[in-house]
Amino acid sequence: MKAPGAFSPDNVVVGHSARMRAIFDFVKVVSKSDSSVIITGESGTGKEVIANLLHHSSSRRHQPFVAVSCALFSENLIETELFGHERGAFTGAIKDKPGRFEMAQGGTLFLDDIDDVPLSMQVKLLRAIQNRTVERVGGTRSINVNVRVITGSKRDLKKMVAEGNFREDLYYRLNVLPITLPPLRERREDIPVLTDFFFKRFARERGIETPDVSSAVRYAFSRYRWPGNVRELENACERIVQTCTCGTVRTGCLSASVLFGAGDPVAAPSTTELTAGEPTAVSLEDRLREVESNLISWALKVSDGNKSRAAELLSIKRSTLGDRITRCGLQEAHHAQAPAADASEDEPIAAIA
Amino acid sequence: MVSREQIESVLGRIRPMMQADGGDIELVDVLGNSAHVRLTGMCAGCPSAHMTLYMGVEMALREEIKDFAELVVV
Repeated sequence: MKAPGAFSPDNVVVGHSARMRAIFDFVKVVSKSDSSVIITGESGTGKEVIANLLHHSSSRRHQPFVAVSCALFSENLIETELFGHERGAFTGAIKDKPGRFEMAQGGTLFLDDIDDVPLSMQVKLLRAIQNRTVERVGGTRSINVNVRVITGSKRDLKKMVAEGNFREDLYYRLNVLPITLPPLRERREDIPVLTDFFFKRFARERGIETPDVSSAVRYAFSRYRWPGNVRELENACERIVQTCTCGTVRTGCLSASVLFGAGDPVAAPSTTELTAGEPTAVSLEDRLREVESNLISWALKVSDGNKSRAAELLSIKRSTLGDRITRCGLQEAHHAQAPAADASEDEPIAAIA
Repeated sequence: MVSREQIESVLGRIRPMMQADGGDIELVDVLGNSAHVRLTGMCAGCPSAHMTLYMGVEMALREEIKDFAELVVV
């Protein structure tokens, strides 16, 4: 459970990307409602941040926000965790214990990793959410619970329903207001603003000046695939702030995975072979963005950062190139190489009130 | 026996990034299955850079070169 006060909506970075702005606008709209929200996104994309934000923007904000990961508990434990138990319900149950539903009374319950809940437990969950009542393990009394349920999933529940691993009825009960968080590699334009935010925060926590960041590091960050998404970026920044000895973040500060991952001509994991074997999902958007980013980097490099020349090489308009550089998050990286270039920097929306 | 080319090809993957920051990782010598490298540039004197590069580059070398033994930062 989150300690109260640990979350502040002011610490939420929105970024430039149209997708994230759309998500935050949607959050503002649905925070007023009491309907179930399901947040889908890869690990580290910020599901709990969004859940927190929903809670803190809602009328329930003065009531508890209880977050629990359903992946943490075994099949038997999860029931007592969520619904609580009565004294004597099982060996070791020496006193009554309220479950997470009861603890979230009046507030919001965030059930993360809902895709890890076993089928047998899904029935009980459905009943609880539908009837707004819970029964403690070993108890007979129904307890009314007034909670808003937000769920988080790293997998596509619809697909799990089709495969028979998730109950359809529960899926429809949960999937009233869906929010899908994009992986960081699909919103690379947000990497610079997130990077700056994290460096600033960790430097403040350590009591040092916010370090300068070299353009090569920015370039590496913009190229790396970030499989762990924003959480990985956050941890990378934390590690760098803790270990930097000279006040400027340079490539020597980068972990090998970032350094090697960013140095690869085409980021390695995306070169999944397209064979006739087992079909795996690929993101066309993601692939195209990488090709685009690689070609633009190449053109800027061979034209010594001269954008007009680079645009010529790519057979596109100079203005189009500017837009695409911003979209690919390459802007910062090429500043150093193109000091005279007139890259207009948008003021980032750093946080939302 | 590990060849100089094999090691250079791994180092070559991170070299452009390091050079962009005015640094480099120089292959000084190959002794048996071990490589001796030197860091140059701004990060050369930073203990953290030594540590991260030391661990990361050694791991990459071991992953890609079957018989690779040890990376020594000189």
